[in-house]
Amino acid sequence: MQFSFDEKIVAKMKAFFEKRAKVILFFFLSMVSIAYFLYYLSNGLGVAYNDARSHLDISRRVVENLTPGFAQLGSVWLPLPHLLATLTVWNDFMWHSGLSGAIQSMVAYVATGILIFSFLKILGVGMFGRIVGVMVFAFNLNILYMQSTAMTELLLIGTMMAGTYQLLMWHKEETMVRLLQAGFWVMLATLIRYDGWFLLAFAFALIFIHSIRKFGYKTTEGILVLFTTLASFGIVLWLLWNLMIFKDPLYFAFGPYSANAQQSQLEAAGVLETKRNLPFSLQTYIYAMIYNSGFFTFILGIIGMAMFWFDKKIKGEMRIAAIALMAPFFFNIVALFLGHSVLFVQGLHGNSWFNVRYGLMMVPTIAIFVGYLVHRLKSIRIAVVALLLFVSFFTFTNTDAVTIDDAVVGASGKNVQEVSGWLMDNAKDKEGYVLISAASHDAIIFSSQMQMKRFIHEGTGEYWDQALTNPTKWARWIILRTNDQNDSTFRELQDNKQFKNNYTKVKTLPFADIYEIKPEFVKDLRTQPTLEL
Amino acid sequence: MKDTLKNFFKKVKNTFVKSDDPVARRAQASKRLYAKSTKSHKVHTEKKRSFFGVNSTKLLKIAGNTLVALFVIMVLILSIRGIAGNPSPTELNRLIWKDNGPLELSPERGRYALMYALAEEKSFSFSPDLARFAAPDVAFTDGKYVSLFAPAVSFLVIPGYFIGKYFGLAQVGSYAVIALFALANLYLIRAIAIRIGAHPIAATIAGVAFLFATPAFAYAVTLYQHHISTFLILMGIYLLIRFNSIWSLMGIWLLCALSISVDYPNFFMMLPIGIAALGKVFIAKRAEGKITFTVPILRVLSVAVMVIPLAFFLWFNSMSYGNPLQLSGTIERAIEVRTDGSPILESEKIIADKKAKGEEIPQGTYDKNVLNFFQSRLLLNGLYSHFVSPDRGLLAFTPVMLFGIAGMVWAIKKRVKHTSLFVAIIGFNILLYSMWSDPYGGWAFGSRYLIPAYALLAVFIAYLLTRLHKYSLFLLFFFMVMSYSVAVNTLGAVTTNRNPPMVEAVGLSEITGREELYTYMRNVSQLNNNISKSYVFEAYVANKITAWQYYIFLTSFIVIVSAFILMTLRIVPKGEQHAL
Repeated sequence: MQFSFDEKIVAKMKAFFEKRAKVILFFFLSMVSIAYFLYYLSNGLGVAYNDARSHLDISRRVVENLTPGFAQLGSVWLPLPHLLATLTVWNDFMWHSGLSGAIQSMVAYVATGILIFSFLKILGVGMFGRIVGVMVFAFNLNILYMQSTAMTELLLIGTMMAGTYQLLMWHKEETMVRLLQAGFWVMLATLIRYDGWFLLAFAFALIFIHSIRKFGYKTTEGILVLFTTLASFGIVLWLLWNLMIFKDPLYFAFGPYSANAQQSQLEAAGVLETKRNLPFSLQTYIYAMIYNSGFFTFILGIIGMAMFWFDKKIKGEMRIAAIALMAPFFFNIVALFLGHSVLFVQGLHGNSWFNVRYGLMMVPTIAIFVGYLVHRLKSIRIAVVALLLFVSFFTFTNTDAVTIDDAVVGASGKNVQEVSGWLMDNAKDKEGYVLISAASHDAIIFSSQMQMKRFIHEGTGEYWDQALTNPTKWARWIILRTNDQNDSTFRELQDNKQFKNNYTKVKTLPFADIYEIKPEFVKDLRTQPTLEL
Repeated sequence: MKDTLKNFFKKVKNTFVKSDDPVARRAQASKRLYAKSTKSHKVHTEKKRSFFGVNSTKLLKIAGNTLVALFVIMVLILSIRGIAGNPSPTELNRLIWKDNGPLELSPERGRYALMYALAEEKSFSFSPDLARFAAPDVAFTDGKYVSLFAPAVSFLVIPGYFIGKYFGLAQVGSYAVIALFALANLYLIRAIAIRIGAHPIAATIAGVAFLFATPAFAYAVTLYQHHISTFLILMGIYLLIRFNSIWSLMGIWLLCALSISVDYPNFFMMLPIGIAALGKVFIAKRAEGKITFTVPILRVLSVAVMVIPLAFFLWFNSMSYGNPLQLSGTIERAIEVRTDGSPILESEKIIADKKAKGEEIPQGTYDKNVLNFFQSRLLLNGLYSHFVSPDRGLLAFTPVMLFGIAGMVWAIKKRVKHTSLFVAIIGFNILLYSMWSDPYGGWAFGSRYLIPAYALLAVFIAYLLTRLHKYSLFLLFFFMVMSYSVAVNTLGAVTTNRNPPMVEAVGLSEITGREELYTYMRNVSQLNNNISKSYVFEAYVANKITAWQYYIFLTSFIVIVSAFILMTLRIVPKGEQHAL
């Protein structure tokens, strides 16, 4: 049996694929992205993270709340993901399915895949290596899960990757357009998470090194001013926002709901073990990287990285620019060391996971270096890819993703089904407001499927103040953790006579207790948002 | 010495760094050309020498190979574990045969039990006595005890059992079959190494290093599947790289299918060989602007031979478990057999333990799925265990394999033919067993699961030795590391494989209140107690010398012969291909 092809046809096919690779990738990655979103939506893991539910609620409060408005964006998290979600979160399906928050992650997932492809192309990696690099990223189960949920990781990865790519291009082309594009993407990253702020500093240093060597002091000054003006614009806006809303530009850093306040509590409890312990910080983050990327992929990435930085065929400035890929690594080590961040890895910190997803930030970097390695190891590339597929096969068959474990059994998830289920059955279709602390119980608010305007929480201003002083008038139900001073509702109501005398505890549950007003007081309750000013 | 070192590093550097200077590049190229022409000249003149009409080179080759074979056979005979006698199932349950004897662990007991049932009881199921002997690695299904292991090992050792039985050495006879496979592996490593360009003497050293300087030694003298699996892999590779005929393809398909009956995970390790063989079924040619694929029908049909071993496998499953597609690992284990012959099942015990502790019993926890045995998250611990840990790691047990890794990196750099295939098999082996929940291999000596990988790394040792055989310091260093590895692994071979993994030893120490050793120091303590499980020691010399003396004699013998072979390699002129 014999069959033959004209070599021209093969060459044409190759050329077609080379020309249309990004379009093909776009459609392919989009399909994968949608398929996985639907998969996690159907199995109930779509909004398993407590933080995912909070992100969605914050956005929802901007458009639907007792006191809607942009002030609801708060200061706990940087605003870009919530702002983007407000475009769609008004729709109940988009809110409760989590799609409103996930859609930006999904777009970022597709974009990052294409950026990895482009990045590798600039480094001179052939089509095979480029595809492998993209697939290492795209078929990482942790990435696939996080792109399907309303978390900020993928959006941050996407913008940081875009910034790093433009930075690389600027090192290559040295054009103003590339510099401005780099500044723009870095600015967006600074509005997603504080990792972006570190990237800004990192990029600043890299631009400084490159410019001073090539153009001298005066031009360097101009380049840096131009870059920094755009790249730090978001940070300036954020500081202004904090000043305007909370009367303190650093409220986000030192306010009562800040990460700093959370870390102080953890430190007092003696579980912030990485603080001022560099080797342990390093070990913790490396373990997080390993669990997120997979150990075999991680090893290949390290080998690829070593080969890349010792490859004399690649220009020195390109290798220096690629250091930006390591920004998340350095940021997380520094944050853990300074005690600004907390990360628990099972085995290192008892039997618990918490924030292990931070290791995800390095997955695109590892994917790029794996792609590069496959390109370099021409003689054994098939074997390397076969081994990657082999390990991935078991990862997928056993659904081996730490980010899911963190959300389902780790400290990042909260199974509030019992509380929210009670609200759904007993409060959803009745009149009256629920007094609850959003800072402590956003997950309950989300899972109850009730409209946001049914809740009186810290962000409702005067309603919150009046309900705490005179609960019988406003709150038909009160949700709080009895005797927990971290729960602001309990803290404010613990000595309130109305709360003590007029309410009955109807349910004691793992995450919160439910109090209901006694029947004789129901008639005096307000069921419409009419404030007494 | 300074010059030697300088030359050594220069050689290494020249291998990895291609000079940017075109003049230097030309010089490198001409050097290679000169080495090639010298080589062909020497081979040519060798052919002219003769001794009584017989080619002297051939004579030397035959003599050398015979001596090496005698040496290897002698060491294996001296180390093979056993006790004289043809034990019945009741006798087999005595400690002298079990914990204190050659059938010390359940994997060898399980396979021996199946062999015994097949050979003596003409049955696929075990009598209660035989089941008690094989426990806790015995399965219980449809009211009968059956093997928990893939069947081929038990079938293959039956001839050895009968020959041994004839001489009153039934158990020794069956173990000798494994030793024969180990011997064959040494020669296959040698043959494969020569095919990839290694010097025959270097290839012989590599074979010796595999057999006596890795945990393969401890598993060559007992009844485990590792040497048979390794044989199938090596034979498959040899057929693949040596021949290109329909017969060789049929051989490969046969080996691939048979490998599953030896040990299920072999499927993955034979996969690269099968895929590479599949590539040989199709012939691609590029001519006149066209790429032509030819698919010879006979080659395609050669795949059909797989039916024979697969039919055997399905038949065994059907006879044992009542379902041809049932894998033994997925059946309920009977961890003990009561005096009335009824089983104590694993699930019952786990549930009872959980109940006693007041823990929740999740539904379906005990449903077994083969794919669940391997989890990518375990890679970190698995790789640590296989490479670094003091109880199983390559660094502690067989550091000589580091030369194999170095040789492999060199071969990748030099794009040596077939390296991709070797890397794939080594990778599949290491990754598969690093993803397993028990990378330690239960109670074992060294990293037994990596024996196939050690065999292939040995091929690269041959490659490395060939490239650097003129550097005395390198050879000296290699010899030192190899001697250490031989010393460690001979400990395992002549004493025991009953070494708990660290995780178990720590728990055990807490229960027993005494220190439980888990490194090869446990084997040293056996020698201190004058214990050796070697049949020759037990039967012939135990009353003349101590176990320590026996061990020192055996180790010295291997080390001295290895030193002699290494010295022979050192005096081989540069570029010469066939000294023996």
